[in-house]
Amino acid sequence: MKGTRSKRTGVLLGVAAAMLVLLVTACAGGDEQGEAADGVITVNWGSEPPSLDPGLATDTTSSNILNNIMDPLLKLEGENLEPTPGLAESWEVNGTTVTFRLRQDGKWTNGDPVTAQDFEWSWKRTISPDLAADYAYQFFGIVGAADYNSCKQNCDAMADEVGVTAVDDSTLRVELTSQQPWFVQQVAHTSFLPVHRPTVEQFGEKWTEAANIVTNGPFQLDTWQHNSRIDLVKWPEWRNAQDVALERVNGRMISEGTTAVQAFEAGEVDETGALGGLPPEELPRLKGLPEYEQTPSLATYYYGVNTKNVPDVNQRRAMSLAIDRRSIIDNIAQADQLPATGFTPSGMPGFDTITPNSEYLPETADVERAKELMSQVQDPVTDITLVINDAPGHREIAVAVQDMWRELGIDVEIQQQEWAQFLESLGPPPAASTDVYRNGWVGDYVDAMNFLELWTCDSGNNNTNHCNEEYDALVDEARQTPENGERYELYGQMEELFFGPEGDMPLIPIYFYTNVSLQRESIKGTFDQNLLDQIDLTKVVEGDAGEEDV
Amino acid sequence: MTGFILRRLLWTIPVILLVILFTFVLMRQIEGNPFRRSERSVPESIQQNLERKYGLDRPWYVQYAKVVKGVFTFDLGPSLVLRNRDVNDIVRTHFPPSLELGALAMTFALVFGIPLGMLSALKANTIFDYSAMFISNVGFAVPSFLVSTLLIYFFALQWGEWTGLPTSGWDSWESKVLPTIALGLGPMAYFARLTRGTMLETLQQDYIRTARAKGLRWRRVVVVHTLRNSLIPVVTAAGPILGFLITGSFIVEQIFAIPGIGAYYVTAVTARDYSVVMGLTVLLALVVIIANLVVDILYGVLDPRTRDARA
Repeated sequence: MKGTRSKRTGVLLGVAAAMLVLLVTACAGGDEQGEAADGVITVNWGSEPPSLDPGLATDTTSSNILNNIMDPLLKLEGENLEPTPGLAESWEVNGTTVTFRLRQDGKWTNGDPVTAQDFEWSWKRTISPDLAADYAYQFFGIVGAADYNSCKQNCDAMADEVGVTAVDDSTLRVELTSQQPWFVQQVAHTSFLPVHRPTVEQFGEKWTEAANIVTNGPFQLDTWQHNSRIDLVKWPEWRNAQDVALERVNGRMISEGTTAVQAFEAGEVDETGALGGLPPEELPRLKGLPEYEQTPSLATYYYGVNTKNVPDVNQRRAMSLAIDRRSIIDNIAQADQLPATGFTPSGMPGFDTITPNSEYLPETADVERAKELMSQVQDPVTDITLVINDAPGHREIAVAVQDMWRELGIDVEIQQQEWAQFLESLGPPPAASTDVYRNGWVGDYVDAMNFLELWTCDSGNNNTNHCNEEYDALVDEARQTPENGERYELYGQMEELFFGPEGDMPLIPIYFYTNVSLQRESIKGTFDQNLLDQIDLTKVVEGDAGEEDV
Repeated sequence: MTGFILRRLLWTIPVILLVILFTFVLMRQIEGNPFRRSERSVPESIQQNLERKYGLDRPWYVQYAKVVKGVFTFDLGPSLVLRNRDVNDIVRTHFPPSLELGALAMTFALVFGIPLGMLSALKANTIFDYSAMFISNVGFAVPSFLVSTLLIYFFALQWGEWTGLPTSGWDSWESKVLPTIALGLGPMAYFARLTRGTMLETLQQDYIRTARAKGLRWRRVVVVHTLRNSLIPVVTAAGPILGFLITGSFIVEQIFAIPGIGAYYVTAVTARDYSVVMGLTVLLALVVIIANLVVDILYGVLDPRTRDARA
């Protein structure tokens, strides 16, 4: 008996020794490195896409992958993100009717042609209450869509009423509830991509797995190891495959910014993923690298004011004047963001007409003027609760603002909340204890309407308790104004109502976002991220390292 | 022994029922809407469609009954957030890496911690003892995210050409080395200190003196009489620590981009993904229950008196 026990101990020690040897050798060998060449790159997607079903995807990671494995009706290209033909070779807008003409050579990876019927079925599927799609509201500008989405009975009949019709195999007609000048741009959103009906019907919710999915874009989904990697391969039969240089795009999912930078420096990835950003504490060092890349983003970082709690407009103006945007950007955010000059971000078509260049949104703080305005306030609110969410960076900015507002005699209590709780407290209406809240808005489509319609009286995104009927009237008018120049004028008037000399200041915009990442020099010239944070992999060409813009 | 194990397994059922109840109540108590993921508001009709689809429009007792049934039939249904995946699929895909990482880290901790503690005790108050205990103090005190970052910086980046270790991932055995060390270092230090302490105490015992007096070889005295009796506190600690290593490796998983269950757990709580939170909580409760059961069985092996006491 005793003998067997000591034998067992011997075995244990043996295993221990073996483990030790294993660990030591682990530290010694291995040379699995090597620069990818010949059309193979490794990107960092940043995180697991919550869904690769175009009807269900809502986030940027999903849309970045979807845009490269699917073929949109049209793409947004150039500086102003002009709609350019994709699967639709042309389109025509006639009042509230939009007609798309599809190319004849679009096909699915299983060989089926892509038809207008595919679009009709896919769009109605996304609108249907059964799918319960978050982004069904993207379609609410189409006749009958909102009704169908909220139907309780006779749903099939209501589906037939939705204004999306495949006139024939290559003609798709859409009836809108009103003239929506931005609808054509909006169609570039992933929600409007078609899905392959037989595949969806066969596999149900598992149709997006790599083994099942049928796509129709330049790349195919080769591997999807959840939360680990998504690899794409070029689909040689895509209609324009001859123009696609990349053969393969391997994709990791590294959410930690520091790890992504380390993986880049170790040569494991060719870009760090623009969405996760770079760790601010490393930015001063990384900015000096030739691989550093910075692109503007269609997004605004702002503080919203609960105007019920801070009713005096002069106090809101003073609070905005006291904020030193330049200092926040240079010392905290550090990614060369642009100081906000209004709510509509820089890069938006018509920006120069729209932005109010408000005197209340100075680049560097105007404390004198702020104090002067503050002294005119009848009942100044000197105890302010500022609510922020717990993502990195917000606290540092809040602390800086706390310091800046102290000069106005305002005592700020910062309340940091976890995301879901934070969203609940925003409302609308905002929690009574919230005086000021942090938020950001990232554009879905390229028209200032996407930003400015947030602030109508009954908007589900207006968390300020502020309501100005004149503003609402302007939004309505802009919705009916198809001519861009005229509409931009109206947008400019809305911005004036908020930030002009007599503006209401329910918001205190701080900066317009940028995206920063590291990109291997061989792809840096062509690995472009557009204003909606999307990357078109069909345009990426590998050059020789060090030689940009091949 | 079989009776003991059976009884313990039966006790698991009420424990799990309590776990379900607490999780259900707590998750519904904290604010938050599983269907609002971004700053964008969710239109009323869409919110209703989602609630109907996932049964959140039903009374709470119906939802609760559905959850209990789901747990006991091993089918907790779809994730509310990852729209194409269900809880079973998440557990099947992501529990194995966490289990593997936990087991590797535990092995690392035991294999290095116990001998380190033993040697320290045998060479108590020598320079070896002091340096071993200094190392283990540092290993215990430094948080795993710092250890992880430092390991990546030195072993994957600075000396990466020589070591061949990647910075992150979980698809080759090389990629598993650094996370194992990062996660196992703390428990290793703990085991070393624990072993050293109890071993020093055991060495003072009369029976050790007897063993030595009757002329047993020193090696035998140490391995059979001292170590064996010193291991009981280590085994006691090992159960919960194993549970912790399997379930609590979130930070290490995140830093090394390991597709484990930790990331899902944390994001599911943040996103109020009720079904995933429930599934993972029950799973992790089971892990802890099993780890503790194994500890109790090991007690019996190490110290027959405890076995007799509960027979």
